Amino acid sequence: MPETVTQLSVGYGPIIMLLAMMGFSVWLGTQAQKAVERGGFMQGYFLGNRGLGAWALALTATVQSGGTFMGFPSLVYTHGWIVALWIGSYMVVPITGFAVLGKRFAQLSRRTGAITVPDLFDARYGDQRVGLVASLAILGFLTFLMIAQFKAGALVMKLTWPGTETMALIETATADAAQHAYDTRYLIGLGVFALTVVGYTLIGGFLASVWTDMFQSVLMLIGVVLLFVLIVPYVSRDGMDQPTLKAVAATGDAYAFGPGFSTTGLAFLPLGAAVSFFFTWPIGGVGTPAGMVRLMACKDTPTIRRSIVLLSFYNGLIYLPLIVICICGRALMPGGFAPDEIVPRLAIWAAPDVPGGSLVSGLILAAPFGAVMATVSTFLVVIASGVVRDIYQRFLRPHAESNEIRWVTYGVMVLLGVIGVVANINPVQFLQKLVVFSTSATASTFVAPALMLAYWRRATAAGSLAGMLGGATMVLSLFTAGPLVEGKPMFEPYQLLGLDPIVWGLAVSSALSVSVSLITSPPPDELVAKLFDAPPSVRAATQS
Amino acid sequence: MTHIVEDTLVRRARREAALALAIWLVACVYSVTFCYLNGYERTVDSLTFVLWFPDWVFWGIVVPWSICILLSLPFAYRLMGDEPLGEAVDSEEPPASDEHEVQHA
Repeated sequence: MPETVTQLSVGYGPIIMLLAMMGFSVWLGTQAQKAVERGGFMQGYFLGNRGLGAWALALTATVQSGGTFMGFPSLVYTHGWIVALWIGSYMVVPITGFAVLGKRFAQLSRRTGAITVPDLFDARYGDQRVGLVASLAILGFLTFLMIAQFKAGALVMKLTWPGTETMALIETATADAAQHAYDTRYLIGLGVFALTVVGYTLIGGFLASVWTDMFQSVLMLIGVVLLFVLIVPYVSRDGMDQPTLKAVAATGDAYAFGPGFSTTGLAFLPLGAAVSFFFTWPIGGVGTPAGMVRLMACKDTPTIRRSIVLLSFYNGLIYLPLIVICICGRALMPGGFAPDEIVPRLAIWAAPDVPGGSLVSGLILAAPFGAVMATVSTFLVVIASGVVRDIYQRFLRPHAESNEIRWVTYGVMVLLGVIGVVANINPVQFLQKLVVFSTSATASTFVAPALMLAYWRRATAAGSLAGMLGGATMVLSLFTAGPLVEGKPMFEPYQLLGLDPIVWGLAVSSALSVSVSLITSPPPDELVAKLFDAPPSVRAATQS
Repeated sequence: MTHIVEDTLVRRARREAALALAIWLVACVYSVTFCYLNGYERTVDSLTFVLWFPDWVFWGIVVPWSICILLSLPFAYRLMGDEPLGEAVDSEEPPASDEHEVQHA
């Protein structure tokens, strides 16, 4: 194997694997359509007939977006071992992601007939305003994030084109990619990506999204295992300390310690930020609308239990090896390229000596591309359900026929695809920061009201509204204050007392939710009993 | 006086949620504290390794992460129970806010 890589040649393997993945995703969409048609359109298309099994739930409900999956290796490569602490809270994500709200959301969605998250808020609190605010928050926070992901998908397609010399997966620090963002390959990539994702999601709805998400999660695991086997033993052939020591020699002592190596003078992970990220991933995961919908769609409680175990092992197999791989990457390739290129560079560097090396590279590269497709697909379903179910059907056409709803749904998805393409002809910026912003905003909006919805009988509609609006306002204010007060770049927040906005958003939302609930009239007993108490037959048996 | 019989699933789910959040809190306090005390502002001369990991990463992240993976087994198969979720009501139309239903009850 070559000791360093100065020029990488992209063969036909990556583009073949990408096209194969797209074809397989469309096929999954058609299979999902068959499953959807077994039940009513709304339940089938937006909730998969409440039949998600353990693998589907485990591998799709809490895994982060394509942007995060692609950005993480770049962070390890850039800042070193401290990123292990940055991502460390993923150790508890399987437990918090499923055990905190899982059973109750699955039960409440059945008792109320809710299909979307706003449906559930509306039915639980008995107030349409709560559902409407939830709906608008989802539309607002997720639409921007979805649009940003289109660019990542287009860039991957462009950069895996045979003969392309520069490889980078996302926009940060990819000067060359940015300079050529308007070129033909980018635009073709954008068009093909949008057509594929909108196409298979439109065909199969929620299940298509879930199944492709699951597929890419498996692909990601295969990619990580291949990279680990091909790279780590080679770099550590003179000792397991060698990857770190070589990387430190190329950077500095800070690469092996906190707050992390940095060339900008800004500490990557000071103490406050380390604490904050233990909120961002586990608690943010609890409050993700896409995750909550999957909980509503799970089959039964054994599914939830099994999902905890499956995801625990999956996360352990993905993140810890990926950190070691990227440290080895720094030892192998000390610099001279955009950090986002580290995974593609390692994939192409490692594969030549392997039979079918170009295809192996393609397999590894297809994994993050699949992650972007799955993310966009998920957002398409959640946003379309928000528009169709929570606005069109609830406020405009409550008794619309199934066929009408179907065509409106298709129209909304196509419209979202068009918006994604048009917005990215002039590519949007800040993908990675948008992921953190969106996670912080949705968590601050939904976590406290969702916990009250599930477990607190005294919670009121006014309390929930105050919590949602207060949490969202707090996060938006801090993200606005960063550029305005401190002159930071866009989406760099003001960190009050060194803590990230999510901590303050959750605190404000929780305080408002509880206090406003306590000072407003209790919810009607009939409403609470319907959602919290045992069914009448059980009650009668207990009282007799 | 009406006797409240809360659903078994609600009671168990509330307990399981509290336990999950307790595990999160313990993991957060341990990992952040250990890593901050042992992994910040050191020099490479003092560094030792366990497998590929610097000592502070191994004991501060890898070990608790492994414990969480193992803990997921008794958590899921011992501590959590199974309860029926109930039949789903017809949801082709949005569920009515119970506002009116309750007011007329």
